[in-house]
Amino acid sequence: MSQFIIGIDLGTTNSALAYTAAITAEVEHPEVKIFPVPQLANPGEISDLELLPSSLYIPGPNEFVEGALALPWNDKPPYITGLLARKRGVENAGRLVSSAKSWLSNQNANATQPLLPPAAPEGVQKVSPLEASTQYLLHLRAAWDRAHSDARLEDQRVLITVPASFDAAARELTQRAAKQAGYPEVTVIEEPQAAFYAWIERNRNWREQVKSGDLILVVDIGGGTTDFTLIAVTEHDGELQLERVAVGEHLLLGGDNMDLAVARFAEQQFAQKGTKLDAIQFHSLWQQCRAAKELLLSGDASAPKDQPLTILGRGTGLVGGTVRSKITGKEIRNLLIEGFFPTVAPDAAPQRQRRAALMEVGLNYATDPAVTKHLAQFLRQAAANAGTEGFARPTHLLLNGGVLQADAIEHRIFEVLNQWLEQSGAPPLIELQNETKQLDLMHAVAHGAAYYGFARTGKGVRIRGGVPRSYYVGIETSLPAVPGLPAPMKALTVVPFGLEEGSKVELPQRKFALVVGEPAEFRFFSSLSRKNDAAGSLIEEIGDDFEELSPIEVFLPPHTDGTREEIVPVTLESNVTETGMLELWCVSADDRRWKLEFNVRERAAAA
Amino acid sequence: MSRIAAAFRSFFSILFSGALAEDIAVRFGYAKTKPAPVVAPVEQPKLKTSDGALQLLHILQRDSRLIDFLMEDIDGYEDDQIGAAVRSLHSDCRASLNRHLALAPVIDGVEGTYQKLDGSKAPDPNRIKLIGNVPASGKVPGGTLRHRGWTASSVNLPPLGKQDPAILAPAELEIE
Repeated sequence: MSQFIIGIDLGTTNSALAYTAAITAEVEHPEVKIFPVPQLANPGEISDLELLPSSLYIPGPNEFVEGALALPWNDKPPYITGLLARKRGVENAGRLVSSAKSWLSNQNANATQPLLPPAAPEGVQKVSPLEASTQYLLHLRAAWDRAHSDARLEDQRVLITVPASFDAAARELTQRAAKQAGYPEVTVIEEPQAAFYAWIERNRNWREQVKSGDLILVVDIGGGTTDFTLIAVTEHDGELQLERVAVGEHLLLGGDNMDLAVARFAEQQFAQKGTKLDAIQFHSLWQQCRAAKELLLSGDASAPKDQPLTILGRGTGLVGGTVRSKITGKEIRNLLIEGFFPTVAPDAAPQRQRRAALMEVGLNYATDPAVTKHLAQFLRQAAANAGTEGFARPTHLLLNGGVLQADAIEHRIFEVLNQWLEQSGAPPLIELQNETKQLDLMHAVAHGAAYYGFARTGKGVRIRGGVPRSYYVGIETSLPAVPGLPAPMKALTVVPFGLEEGSKVELPQRKFALVVGEPAEFRFFSSLSRKNDAAGSLIEEIGDDFEELSPIEVFLPPHTDGTREEIVPVTLESNVTETGMLELWCVSADDRRWKLEFNVRERAAAA
Repeated sequence: MSRIAAAFRSFFSILFSGALAEDIAVRFGYAKTKPAPVVAPVEQPKLKTSDGALQLLHILQRDSRLIDFLMEDIDGYEDDQIGAAVRSLHSDCRASLNRHLALAPVIDGVEGTYQKLDGSKAPDPNRIKLIGNVPASGKVPGGTLRHRGWTASSVNLPPLGKQDPAILAPAELEIE
C-alpha cells in the first residue's frame, strides 16, 4: 500500500513534483505539497528548487572539474539535468537538449531515435526525446528516494500529466519513459484537467461556485504548448458531476514563444544602435524582457511606462561595454496582446499549416500565433460536435500557465470571450480564481495531478471524460487496382469518442486474417472532431477530419509445438486501462490474444 | 611530534572540525585504544582559510561580475553609464549573497534612535563599537544607533571539491 500519491508535471520547459499522503480517512481535501528538487544550480553546488527545468546537457569529457557534476545519489552522472543544464546550454547550445516533450508528439520524427540536440556537433552522442524524458523522470525519482528512503517512489501511486491534445502514441511514449526510469505503472492525466483539479483542491466550496448546466473553459498556456478543454457540469442523483466534453488540437505555441518574440524585438533595437548580441547576452536580454513584461503588463495603475534593458559588456570591461535600451509597455502590449491575443470575431480561423513538399524534420510549430483564433476554432468545433450551431458558450473560465502572470493577457482573453458571448446574447464569463495565483500558475498542474490521484481512491470528485478522440484502423477496399493510385482506404472505428477508463469494446463483425510468423501492420487514424462514430462503424472516406498516426503492428510468433497453423482469423478489441492507456488487441476464435503495438519507427514514413 | 605542534594541532582541529585528531587523542590518553587502521586513505584536499574567501569571490564574479566591476577603471565614464551597469550587477550580487549567507543586522533597531544597552558591563567589542564620548570604563546605558551592523548568521557555501580556488573566473574562448 502506497504511503504517498505523487503528481508529476513533466513540462516542456519545467517539471515539478507534488505529493500528498495516501490517507484512508474520509477526507475530500488532502494537503498537497510541492517537493523541492535538489539539482545542480552551478558546478559543485546543489540547490533545492521547486521546479526542475526540463533541460538536459550532455557534458563533454573535459568540460567540468572532476566531481563538479556529482549528485547526492550519483557521483558521475552521464548527463546534467535541471538548472545547470539550462545555464550551461546558453553558453554551448550544441550539447543542450530542450523541448524533448514536443518531440514525443511529433508526427514527422521518431521519438525513440537519437535526434537531440538537433544541431549537435559531430562526435556528441545524441539522445532520443524518449531518453531525455526518461532522464528527467529518473532525476525526480532519485531525488524523491533520497528524501524518502522508507517510501520509495516505485512503491507509491504516481500520476504524470500530458497535454490533453497528446495522441495515444505520445501518451504511450510518456508511460514508456516512466517505465524506463523505474517507475511503477503510472496513470496519465490531462494537464487542463489537472489545473482544474488544483482549483477544486484550493476551493473547498467549489460546489457553490458552479451549478448543473455550466460549461467551464480551461485555457492552459504552458511553456511550449497551449491546451483548451471544456468541462461540463451535470447533476446525477443530486450530486454535481463533471464531464470533460472537448479538448483542442495539439498547439505548439506557448509562453516561451511569447517571451522570445519580445526578446527578438528588443534585440532589433540593440542592432539599430550597432550592437550585435551574442548568445549569452541574448539570453540575459530574454530574462530581462520576461521580467519587464510581467511588470509592464501587470495592469497595476502604478506600473511604470517603460523598463530599461541593460546588456553588460562581455569582457572584463563591464561598465565600458554596457549598452542600454528600453522597452515600453505599449511595445510589449503590441507584440504580445495584439500579436498573440488579437481581438477577433468568433468565426475567425487560424491560418492553415503551410504544407511544403520537403519539410525539414523539426517541430511543427503552430503557424498562426493568434491564440484567440485557435480558441474560436476550438469553440466552434466543440459546438459542431455537440450538434449545435455557432460556437460553444462557456459560463466559466479557468486560466493556467506562467505567462498569465502578466495580467493584461488574462484581461484580453476575458475581453475577447465576453465580446463573443455578448454578441450571441449569452451572459459574461465568471472567472474561477486560484487564491495564491503566483504559485499556482507554475505548480497547479503537478498539484492537481496529486489531488486527482487522491480523488481516484473515491473520496474526491472525479472528472469523467474518457478518450478525447476517436480512433480508426484503415481497411483497404477490395476494388480493382488502378496503376499509380493506392487502393482506396476506409476507416473502421475501433475506439469511439469518450470511451471511459476501465471499459472495452469488441468488434466481432470484422475478421482479419493474420499470417503466423510475419508482422502485420495496420494504418491507424484518429479524429478530434468525429464524435458520433459508433464502435465498428465503417467510414467510407478518410477526409480532412482524420489525422494519420503511427501505424500499429502485431506479430504472431511461429509455433514451436509443430502445429502447422499458418493463418489465424482474428477480431479486434479495444480497451482503455484504469491508468488511461489505450490498448488494441487481436483475439482469435479460441480466445488467444495478441496486443497491437504502436510502431513509432514508422511514424516518419507514414506522415 | 613536538609539544607545541601537538598543542597547535589540537587547538585548530577542535576549533575547525570539532574533534581531536585521533593520533593526538591516543597519545594523550583521550582515546583508550588505537583506532583501526584506515583501509583506503581518502585523499582530502588541503583546505586553507583563504579558500572560503576566494570561493565567495568566485561566486560573486560568476553570478554578478563583481570583480570585473571593481577592477575596472571607471574614471572616464558618465554616472548614468555606471548606473546602468550597476543596477543589474547589484540585483545579481545581492541574490547570490542572500543565497549563500544569511545576513541580518547586529542590532535590529531604527538608525538615529536611542538604543538601550546593559549598563553594568562594557559591550562585546565584536558586536558593538562605541563611538563619540565614550567613558573611561566603557560601560554605557545606551546610545544613538548610528549603524545597525551586519552579521552572517549562517554560511552556506558548496563544498570546494577539486576546483582550483585561486581561479576566480576562467578565461572564456568562443569558437566561431
